[in-house]
Amino acid sequence: MQLVEKIVKGERAAIAKAITLVESSKENDKKESRKLISELLNKPGKSIRIGFSGPPGVGKSTFIESFGRYLVEKNYKLGILAIDPSSQITGGSILGDKTRMIEISKNPNTFIRSTPSRGSLGGISLGTREASIILDAAGYDFIFIETVGVGQSETMATNLVDIFSLIVGPGSGDELQGIKKGITEYADIFIVNKNDGDLKSEASKTASDYKSAISYYKKSSDVADKEVLLVSAIEQTGMEKVIETIQNIVLQNKKNKNFDERRAKQFTYWIEEEVREIIQFSIQNKIKEDGSISKFSQKVMDGEIQMFDAIEAITQNLQNK
Amino acid sequence: MKTKNSEKYTKWQKSFERETKIDLSEASSDTDEGIKIKPVYTKADIENLSFVDNDSLPGQLPYTRGPKASMYTNRPWTIRQYAGFSTAEESNEFYKKNLKSGQKGLSVAFDLPTHRGYDSDDDLVMGDVGKAGVAIDTVEDMKILFNDIPLDQMSVSMTMNGAVLPVLSSFVVAGEEQNVNKNLLSGTIQNDILKEFMVRNTYIYPPDPSMKIVADIIEFTSKEMPKFNSISISGYHMQEAGADNVLELAYTLADGMEYVRAALSKGLDIDDFAPRLSFFFAIGTDFFMEIAKLRAARTLWYKIMKDFGAKNEKSMILRTHCQTSGVSLTEKDPYNNIIRTSYEALSAILGGTQSLHTNSFDEAIALPTDESARIARNTQLILQNETGVTNTVDPLAGSYFIESLTDELSKKAWEIIEEIESLGGMTKAVKAGVPKLKIEESATKKQAKVDSGSRVVVGVNKFKNPKEPKVDVRVIDNNKVRDDQIKKINDIKASRNQKAVDESLAKLVAAAKEDSNLLACSIDAIKNRATVGEVSKALEQVYGRHFATSLSVSGVYGKHFEGDEDYMNVAKKVNIFEEENGRRPRVLIVKMGQDGHDRGAKIVATSFADMGFDVDMGPLFQSPKDVAKDAIENDVHAIGVSTLAAGHKTLVPELMKSLKKIDPNSKIVVFVGGVIPEQDYDFLYENNISAIFGPGSNIIESAETVIDLISDKIHKNN
Repeated sequence: MQLVEKIVKGERAAIAKAITLVESSKENDKKESRKLISELLNKPGKSIRIGFSGPPGVGKSTFIESFGRYLVEKNYKLGILAIDPSSQITGGSILGDKTRMIEISKNPNTFIRSTPSRGSLGGISLGTREASIILDAAGYDFIFIETVGVGQSETMATNLVDIFSLIVGPGSGDELQGIKKGITEYADIFIVNKNDGDLKSEASKTASDYKSAISYYKKSSDVADKEVLLVSAIEQTGMEKVIETIQNIVLQNKKNKNFDERRAKQFTYWIEEEVREIIQFSIQNKIKEDGSISKFSQKVMDGEIQMFDAIEAITQNLQNK
Repeated sequence: MKTKNSEKYTKWQKSFERETKIDLSEASSDTDEGIKIKPVYTKADIENLSFVDNDSLPGQLPYTRGPKASMYTNRPWTIRQYAGFSTAEESNEFYKKNLKSGQKGLSVAFDLPTHRGYDSDDDLVMGDVGKAGVAIDTVEDMKILFNDIPLDQMSVSMTMNGAVLPVLSSFVVAGEEQNVNKNLLSGTIQNDILKEFMVRNTYIYPPDPSMKIVADIIEFTSKEMPKFNSISISGYHMQEAGADNVLELAYTLADGMEYVRAALSKGLDIDDFAPRLSFFFAIGTDFFMEIAKLRAARTLWYKIMKDFGAKNEKSMILRTHCQTSGVSLTEKDPYNNIIRTSYEALSAILGGTQSLHTNSFDEAIALPTDESARIARNTQLILQNETGVTNTVDPLAGSYFIESLTDELSKKAWEIIEEIESLGGMTKAVKAGVPKLKIEESATKKQAKVDSGSRVVVGVNKFKNPKEPKVDVRVIDNNKVRDDQIKKINDIKASRNQKAVDESLAKLVAAAKEDSNLLACSIDAIKNRATVGEVSKALEQVYGRHFATSLSVSGVYGKHFEGDEDYMNVAKKVNIFEEENGRRPRVLIVKMGQDGHDRGAKIVATSFADMGFDVDMGPLFQSPKDVAKDAIENDVHAIGVSTLAAGHKTLVPELMKSLKKIDPNSKIVVFVGGVIPEQDYDFLYENNISAIFGPGSNIIESAETVIDLISDKIHKNN
């Protein structure tokens, strides 16, 4: 397949087309996509996938711009997959991430792709996982995955990335109570942004709130410690510490096999999901062809048969097909 | 309310309802400002007004009726036409010609690189040099600009906000080298940075240091240049960007309050600088509303300044320049613009402006020609000399409608001013992006009204001209201008004392670090022949360059089209497209070069998204290369280039080249929208542009064209 070679060579247009393919909702494209991904899985790169999440207004994109700039200056290749919300009414979307990633979007060592959420929450059904495989094969050192809101933390952390980081703003310590459990479980790194100007002392206080919160977390011996970091995206300070922490966590987790286990688990999830999707799709088709649902519903309405008996009959019917 | 129930009124109401077959309570018209205009006004409407004093006379507080007692009966308003053409030489010729034909003041338009603090030889500004105004790189250009124009006699207004320091410095030095001391220089520098963050985007530094520069200039001029207006607080660009009159009025005055505070923080006494603050408003086609706006502006400013503790009467009087609305001009049937401009000019005069610029009818398409500029100027000369409008001061005073409207506008604006104050003033509000978003929302609503036909624009969405007239426009050879400027820069750099330049720039940087006044240091650097770009870059080392994050409204456009057939048709096409292609049509909307007018781009983005497109928004000030990378990485179906500053002839071919360079097989559809003279259409089509949408294009129709173009391209490839 020519596309695979072009991706491996890092051709920008080929990578972009491939991502379009894995994101497509067309049945034909899905088949093509599976073929492509299975070939790419044989050509793994060495990228680290890092997830970024956080409530709106904490400067997520600004942080990514700032941290990204730091990385490309160090000659790393950086891929960014950003998920933007689609309108629930019109289905359309405005993808504005790049207005906040001005410098890195110009840099030849970056690849930045925005994806409309199309009603999906975690980014999985959008082909984000497949997109990260494409960027991995294309030789990107780091792949950032940015999602909207904190609600998707769990899906992202468990299904998509090697390291999951939560970006928060000064003064967010109070909200901590409410989301503590999810956070302590899923985030590997807490990044307190806006450690600058008037907000400095507030940021420090927030950082210590988070530190004490994660200290309650029962640490399993073979997993890397969770870290709380103070940064200023605007002043580009604290970035060295972020990359150091990421590299440390990767190193430690690789040593104790946790890194590979996490990826293996993600594969299991993936397989399960694909299987589920395929079955669901075929069953939907069967239901459509079969027509017994409407037939039995009528019988239920007419009082000829009990509802639950009807359901059992329909399921039996479908299973025998 | 007594009068309302009078016998006469009841009788009138009956007649009205019989004639119109409409219940009177349903008969009001809604304005953009959310004001209900009633079919009739009576004495009752001007009783118990909140801001307006019915007994006041012109030149008396609260100055609703005008800043002066005699107004135009003594001296008519100043005809002040804003112009700037590519090079200093050309502009100078133009100014001299105009002064001979009866114009009294000069108003300089600069090109975008100058606004943004870049020299003409900077790679970033390739397509922008000499477009939409004159390029000033050094004081030598400024000297040419005013060659044979005695600066001690001519009042000069300069539209400059970003690079205020080097440009004002160049003006001062040009005066000095004409043997005119700075204390004799008269005129105005716009120096209104806050509105740049809201609408025009020709800022350089972040809001806080930008405010410091504003305050420095107010401080310096109040001490050293007593005849010079240190700031022109401008609502003009807000209305141009789509703000309704209440927003324009409120945000402009709120900006004014912020500048007053900035100057006070320098330790100045309010009465030392406040008399030199001036204002600048847009005058659109809503005839009575515009008159009321100017009257309300004076009324509110009086209140504001009194609250600040001003004692000098002059501090409390709002003096303003006005310009007829550029956004009301249409590309279609362009001679209609002469008529629009005439009514707008009359509005400004009845509102009591101190000076006026009337737009040329071809300005929706290009910079004015000598001929169109003459017609524009004559519009004012006819008003002054033939109509008799100068014989009576504030002739509409006492009109139930005008007085009531003035008061209502004042009330509505005051609410918004209080809202901004509660956010901690305009600098904070601007940082939070509140005003920008409000203006964009208002702009989108206005566009939707025109596109849906609920607002008539003659020659555009109704009464179209079956035979569009061909209009000759001014053509600029941008590459030649740039080459000439580069040569001049190189000559100056070769002949100047480099050591003196370096030292004065180092002093400027030091002054910025220790927070002392920057204008004096900047004047020294410019005197030593440092360039505008060098001065700006020196400060950039300390302050950084500002990049605005951009928020977008959504759903505002679509709301006006619920049930609209054309709209639903496009939305349906989008859904079919998605089924066929596995994703929605995806369009990247971009601005390239230094043109920061992003209203059009924003409206197109939000309305396309409302119709179901996936719309990528590029940042401002992108190079064609950046746009190509962005477009290809996101695998968009189409790129829409918004261009309002004449950069398209350089930037669009550059974009096409960059696309091919990254992807030789690129199938991306490229379309262009904005201000594009018809003469350039063929050139753009030859460069494989698929569609061109001029000002006044209907967005729904444009969206349909775009989706059809995309579908065609996909089918051709299969």
